[in-house]
Order: sequence, then C-alpha cells, then structure tokens
Amino acid sequence: MATITKAGPKKYEISINGKAATVVEGTYLLKAVMDAGFNVPTLCHHKDLTPDGTCRLCLCEVEVNGKKRLVTACNYPVRGEIKVNTSTEEVKKHRKNLAEMYLGRWPNVEAIQNIAKLCGATDKEKYKSELTDENPKACILCGHCVRACSSFVIQNILGFAGRGIKRHLTMPFGEIDPNCIECTSCGYVCPTGAIQVADNMNNPADPELIRRHGMRINAMMATLDKAQNRMREVGTANLVEVMDSYDLLPVHNYRFGKHPDTKKIDSGVMKSQYFTQDAADGCWLGCSMACAKAVDGFELKTGPYKGQKVIVDGPEYETAAGGSNMGGFDLDFIVEYNFYCDTYGVDTISFATTMAFVMEAFEAGIITEEHTGGKTLKFGAMDEALECLHEMARGEGFGVEVGQGTRRLKEKWAKELGADPNFLNDIGMEVKGLEFSEYVTKESPAQQAGYAMAMKGPQHDEALLIFFDAINNQIPTIEDKAETLYYFPLFRTWFGLLGLCKLIWNDVIPPSNSNYPPNEAAKIPERVEDFQKFYEGMIGEPLDEEKMLQQSARVFNLQRLMSYYFGRGTREEDIPPLRAIGPATVEEYLSREERYDKQMKEDIGIDPGGKTVEEKLVITRDFRYKHYNQILDAAYKRRGWDHNGVPTVERLKELGIDIPEVMALLKRQEQ
Amino acid sequence: MITVNNKHKLDWYEGMTVQDVLDKMDYVLPLITVSVNEQLVQGVDYSTYEVPDNAQVNVFHLAHGG
Repeated sequence: MATITKAGPKKYEISINGKAATVVEGTYLLKAVMDAGFNVPTLCHHKDLTPDGTCRLCLCEVEVNGKKRLVTACNYPVRGEIKVNTSTEEVKKHRKNLAEMYLGRWPNVEAIQNIAKLCGATDKEKYKSELTDENPKACILCGHCVRACSSFVIQNILGFAGRGIKRHLTMPFGEIDPNCIECTSCGYVCPTGAIQVADNMNNPADPELIRRHGMRINAMMATLDKAQNRMREVGTANLVEVMDSYDLLPVHNYRFGKHPDTKKIDSGVMKSQYFTQDAADGCWLGCSMACAKAVDGFELKTGPYKGQKVIVDGPEYETAAGGSNMGGFDLDFIVEYNFYCDTYGVDTISFATTMAFVMEAFEAGIITEEHTGGKTLKFGAMDEALECLHEMARGEGFGVEVGQGTRRLKEKWAKELGADPNFLNDIGMEVKGLEFSEYVTKESPAQQAGYAMAMKGPQHDEALLIFFDAINNQIPTIEDKAETLYYFPLFRTWFGLLGLCKLIWNDVIPPSNSNYPPNEAAKIPERVEDFQKFYEGMIGEPLDEEKMLQQSARVFNLQRLMSYYFGRGTREEDIPPLRAIGPATVEEYLSREERYDKQMKEDIGIDPGGKTVEEKLVITRDFRYKHYNQILDAAYKRRGWDHNGVPTVERLKELGIDIPEVMALLKRQEQ
Repeated sequence: MITVNNKHKLDWYEGMTVQDVLDKMDYVLPLITVSVNEQLVQGVDYSTYEVPDNAQVNVFHLAHGG
C-alpha cells in the first residue's frame, strides 16, 4: 500500500501585505495572494494550466527567515511561514518595465493594454522595434496553447522555437503537423485570438457549446487526476490496493477480499517496475484521461513466443485482480497471462475467473491430476495456469475443458464426475454463462443484483454499486437499492449509446460535487451536464435527466426483450451463485466470523451462540437469498418489469417501443 | 462513541480527528466526501478537524472503476 497517502496536508500561517492567511502546503503563491483579495498582474497564468512563470509580471517580494527576494508568484509553492509583499517599489518598477516592453512589442493587443494600465505603463515608444507587431490579435508568446496541448491532451504538437526576441510559436520543422488531432485546446486558451478555430467537422449544431464542456473535462483531467485516482499515471490499476483495503479484492475464487501479498501486485510495483513508457496512453489519440498503460520489452517465459521480448498492453485492474483470484501474486505471471490472453483472443476476466473455479475444484478434490493432464492446479499454480491457457489456444488437453467456461464445467463435472451440483453452483462464479468480473460482492446486495441482472452477465459496465452499498451505506432500504438499480444501468447504457467513456464520468470528480447530497453526488451532476451538452451541441436539442433516461430505457428494454427471446432474460437467469451473496464454505465463514455473527444477531435476529458453523452458513444463506429476491422484486417493479423480469406491455407502450416487431418478440417467446 | 455511515460504531477519544476516523476505518480511497454531524469537512482539514463525541460521521465514497 505504498502508493496511498493517508496523512493530511500541512498548513502555514503566512502574511500577505500585513494580512494573515492560512495556506495549505504546496499552494502556489499567486493563488494564495488572489484568495487573500490582492490583485497581481499576469499574462502567462491560466487557472487550468501548469504555471511556468514566463511573463514575470507576477513578481512578488518574499521574506524567508529575514531574507528578502523576488519570486514569480505563479510557480512559487508555499512551503513555510513567509511574509509576502505584492507591491514594493522595486516590484512595481520591475512590473512597469516589463509592461512597457510588452507594450512596445504588441501595442494593440487588448490583453497587453490592460496589463500596461494595471502596471502604470503608458509609453508605447520606449521599446518599439522592427519586431513590433501592430496586429490586435497578435500572438504574445504566453505559452497557454503549448501547455494546453501538453497537459489537456498530452500531445506536445505545439512548441516554441528561436531565442530571445526571435522566439516564436511553431509546430515541428515549421510545418503543419499531421499528428495534430484538431482538438482546439490551443484556440480555447488563447487570450488574444491569435489562434482561430474553424469548425468544419461533422456539422455540429453548436460547436462552441461542445468545446466549452469538452475543455471543462480536459482541464479537470489536467489538474485533479493526479490527486485523485491517478488514471494518467497508473490507469485503473490504482484499484488493486484500494480494493484490498476495503476487503473487496477477489482472492482464491472470491473466497476472500484481501491478502498480505497484494503489495506485490499493486499499482506502485506496476509503476516502478513494469510500466515502461512513462507516459499516458489512451484508447484514442487525444483522450485527456489516457489511462491505458504498457509494458515494453517484456520477456515471455512460456508458450509459442517464449524468450521473445514483447509489448504488453496493460495490465489494468481486472487483469491484476484476476491474478489475485487465482492466487497469482506475481506481476511477471499477470503480465504474461495478460499478453497471451490478448494474443489468443481470450478475455482475461473469463480466463481468470474460470481458472480460479478450476483451482478450487481441484483443491476440493472434485478434479484431480488425472483430469488435468498431470497439472497440480492449486491456487497459486501460475505455470500450470499458463499451460492451461496455451492448451486452450492449441485445442489440446485439459485447456479445452477450461475453455468451455465456468457454466459448462459445472454441468460437465456434475454429470460426468458425480460432483455435488449444489456445491459447484455455489462456487462457480457465473451468471447467464458469463464469468464474474473481479469484485467481491458479498456485502453489497445492490452490486449482487447489478451484476446478476446485467444484460450480458455479471460485468461492472452496467452497474458498479459496490461502494454505495457495502461501504457508504447510502442506499440502505430495498427501495433505495431498486432506485439505484434503475438509474445507474440507464446512465451507463446511455453513455455507451453516445460513445462516451464511463471512466471520464466518475473517475475524476469535480469540486462542485461536494455541493450535492450523497445520492445526487453519486451521479456526478457536473459531468452528466457536460455529457448532455455534448448531445445538445451536436444535435441541437436540449436534454435533461428525464429525457436521457427515457432514451436509454428504450434501448435497455429492447435489449432485455432480446435477451428474453434468447432464453436469458428471466428471473431464473438473474440469480447469482451463493458465493456472490455470502460465504459458501466453512473456511470462508470462519475468515469473517465476527462480521457474519454480528449480522446474524442484528439483521436476522438470531443468536449465533451455540450454533455450529454449518448451521450458521445455512441461516446466512437463506436470509441473504430471501433479501436478494426482495431486491429483485423491487428492482423489477421500478423498471416496469413483471415478476419474471420481463418488460410489461404497459412499460413498452410508455417508452413508445410497442411496435409490432417488438411485440412479436414477446409473443413468440411466450408461445 | 461515534457512528460512521450509520453503521459502524467507534470508540471516541479527546482530540479524535477526521483523519483518525479514516485511518481507523481503513478508508483509503481518494474520492471521498466527509461530513460530521451533517457539516461538510474539506480534505485539507481532515487532520485538524476534531470529531465530537456522539458524532454522526458520513464518509461518502464515490463509485469509480473500469
């Protein structure tokens, strides 16, 4: 857990022009001065960009331990108790001189004229030269565009060339760079209009509206991500240590939620020993979150490419957590199975979850080395797991069985090996034939339902409610959970329909979010507004939450009907295995005995004293399944579905999708 | 005694700060909002904001993930 900092920031009492102010360590002096109510002129500063102190206008006098010196306030971090004077005679003289130089070079630019006025500079002739530019929209070399290109979209297409008075803005070799993605960030931050944006792509109804909200997101990524989830730095891998801390990281086929060896596979180790490009990477060029990561020069130890050095895309959270689920707390193993899954076209989640199930079945004696082709497939058997993956790809040996997935293995082993089907169903983590993604859901009934009700099976794209429920306790009643199970999948479906990334939605949180009560804050209202404005800017129609949910519900209900038509969209297919809702074995119960006993006493109303663990397991299971079914009933009702989880005719009419083709789907399945 | 998220009881002591509560609960996610008796506490104040006895502390984790 080396990557998590718990200690709060230090604060310092500083004096600004004789006025006392409390400042958090690391705050730039310019912000502290402005917050204290003093105005300091600046040309190169922009609230959303990293300061670089090029214009020198924000000079202030700082006294540290009795020694005075001039600093540029915009990039001077407060790291102690200091005295600041923003307008000494020396400071004013420097600023006036600088302003006169700017005025001599760009006499007609409004931003320069305003600065000159603030600094008492009026003489346009003093520094006039052959390079004086009379254009009122001249580039003033503030560097906003260069920094926006770098920090908003991580591109570095724009830069400066030349020295001194010959310094100028350019693309590489003075040519238009074909790699410029035309994101318009440079034009957005340009204070003079020197960079003009010509909107000629896709004919949006209101390009300025789209740009305004897009830049709001870019700015937030550039300024907040590093203090929040560090998506640019380590991607979703930041979740490994977080999930372990909250007892939510799958370990040994979801039996446990944490492990002492998690520190061997956390994002800190990935960052320091594996991620090689030391740069943000995105699904597409110009993504301002850019959370994809890569491992270069990784030498493979197994398989057809053994000994070769390759580039591996990842690993991200789910792949690393798949490692802990198999007991593979070794990043060499995780990166290798990541590479081969990608190469063979196998989903890392399905592979890891199925393999974890196989390992538990092996340890329980359901299968032996006789069935696995001599492989001892205990938890942590990383070489053997990789061999199964290679066999799967070659269509040979036990790997062929593993490749069938968890559902078919359960059926096969019950039928052919006489294994207890109930036990297999309890520990085989799949719903609708799809393996669970990598979160432990035992203490989150809303997440259990979110997973199990998801159209294509238990994946978190449709509903990730684990913190709402298990940690925040913000949706305590069945109705609260049903409401969340109503809107959350519709949000995510709508994002998908418009091609908007769910990570952008809630992995960087705007400061405005703290103004909302928890259940509203969970929706990240400012970001939803951004997304709605993208729609409005493109289509020309305003959109509110109700209309957005309505649009999404039309598709969502159609998907459910299709699922129903193909035999998956019913209540029977919305029931998770026991391990998803609670402990399935004695060992599991004992590992969290205090928690389960407490719940038995407080929530179920039964005294666990004097009961065997086996008896307590049955009581816990019955209670949790009953509770789960109550949530399912409430969620179906809220969604306008019947007791069997099928959209009602009334709901289809309400959504305006009761067209003959849709009604025919319903009727044909019922027949 | 204080209550965290209307669920967990923690023994209170003189000088207990929000940061102490977070440490005790092992709440490490950066994306949280904390309120003490419905009063919002800013992140920079976690290590100095003292939690009174019998307080209701809500630590709201924002969902995120891939």
